[in-house]
Amino acid sequence: MIFQKSVLALLFASAAGALGALAAGPHALAVWRHWDLETGRARQLRLERRSSLVSTGMSLLLVVQAVTLLLFVFNADRMASQFVGAMCAVGTLQVDGFGFPALIARIAVFFGSGIWLAMNAVDGRCRDYPLTRPKSLLLLALIPLLALACGLELAYFRGLRPEVITSCCGSLFSSGSPAVTGDLAAWPVERAMPVTFVVLGGAACLSAWVARHGRGGLALGMAGLLAFVVALAGVVAFVSLYVYEDPRHHCPFCLLKAEYGYRGYAFYVALFAATAAALGAGALAPFAGRGRSPASAARLQSATRALGGVALGGFLLVLLMTAWQITASGLTLFPHG
Amino acid sequence: MSALIELAGVTKVFHEGQHNALVALCDVDLALEAGRITVLQGPSGSGKSTLLSVLGCLARPTSGRVRVAGEVVSNLPEAFLADVRRRTFGFVFQQFHLIGGLSARTNVMLPAYPTGRTHSEIARRAAELLGQLGLEKLTDARVEWLSGGEQQRVAIARALINDPRVVIADEPTANLDSALSAEFLGILAGLRDEGRTVIMSSHDPRVCEAAVVDRVVRLLDGKVEA
Repeated sequence: MIFQKSVLALLFASAAGALGALAAGPHALAVWRHWDLETGRARQLRLERRSSLVSTGMSLLLVVQAVTLLLFVFNADRMASQFVGAMCAVGTLQVDGFGFPALIARIAVFFGSGIWLAMNAVDGRCRDYPLTRPKSLLLLALIPLLALACGLELAYFRGLRPEVITSCCGSLFSSGSPAVTGDLAAWPVERAMPVTFVVLGGAACLSAWVARHGRGGLALGMAGLLAFVVALAGVVAFVSLYVYEDPRHHCPFCLLKAEYGYRGYAFYVALFAATAAALGAGALAPFAGRGRSPASAARLQSATRALGGVALGGFLLVLLMTAWQITASGLTLFPHG
Repeated sequence: MSALIELAGVTKVFHEGQHNALVALCDVDLALEAGRITVLQGPSGSGKSTLLSVLGCLARPTSGRVRVAGEVVSNLPEAFLADVRRRTFGFVFQQFHLIGGLSARTNVMLPAYPTGRTHSEIARRAAELLGQLGLEKLTDARVEWLSGGEQQRVAIARALINDPRVVIADEPTANLDSALSAEFLGILAGLRDEGRTVIMSSHDPRVCEAAVVDRVVRLLDGKVEA
């Protein structure tokens, strides 16, 4: 294990998230089983007071979880210089078998946290707390995920040894790779490009509709998830080629490097924020309908609109950045004539 | 006249589920009209203070429904209940609960800060209220230097700083002599004439039988007597 400030900070953040969620678990379970705003029984009053405290604490911990995804990736990229064979974050993540699983778990935690934070923000503004029970259920579901992410991260950092010779991104993100990344790299540009633009454009249009009407959150959630997957595939298939101006360099992580102006951060932050907002709108959708007070229904609709707006902004930015990469690049993949 | 505050089947149990559980209110139905002075009368332990707490949104009933100005408040979480309380009620407590070391003016101003009004606006209104209650020369005096009657008038001014529709007073004359009690009832009559609703608890027969009182609600063992 390599003891560095950033590694310790990441481990501390992960452990804090997992332990915090674990500590909040019994309360979440009690809320799920006994929450009843119609009564003023002592147990209900206790649950309400604790919910306020638990929500505040969990909000802080989950914001940290979301933000540390950036630190995790930045750290993996920065540590590449310490491993023989590593050129970017991919090399660091491949030093042991836990790097990529840890990254995927962190991404799942990011979206789970985003959904919980969106629900919590709306719930606290509605007088009938319409999302308190679903939010508790989500928190219960997040406990194993946070614990898994923490465990994978610990295993990953424990396995980081400077003497290990790792492989660079060229072996993983090439059409010859047997992994799914190889299939993505082999995705023909003439097919990948229109699919990516259509899916991202569709998600942006749907976001605009949701931002305007405050309805259709569920569809946006699904479209957002699809757009996220397609955008990542698009980065491997063709965006990366235009950025590096090299028809064989498909790595989605080298975009984060200084020599490419850290432009990957802008791209990924926009994409992740848009997807999280779309998923948040999707999570709110089942609760916006029947049985709500008019004030709560209006709040839910207004929150769905706001999330639609964020998703719209994010997807538009991703679209613009993708288009700009293609037009500004010196690489020509489709020669005229 | 329509009811400003309505209680339906309200029960309040303290230490619920424990060996020392206490039913302070039992299935209380009550409707209080706007613009009247109502006194809750009953012996110690009859549930007067608990009923005032429920009426004033200081406590939620264990079961039953409370409506204030047509809005159901009995199922509101505490954060939102505080908002209703701040907008609707002003409280005068038996022991006044003024903050020692602070001036009369500052004590009066304190409840207005969470409403978002400016300091100068609050200070102007506090001076106005203290003037109306005959305390214009004592605005900067520390509250512990004031007499019991003066402290009570400061407490009344504080209850009125947010211009509440309802003033709630818990045993307000318990610490006052008969002259001060009469003066206090005169102030309450003035508040009613301004269109406010006054609800107070008392076991003092002088208060219950006073001419200014519009209605007396009798409580015994947590129940409203017919």
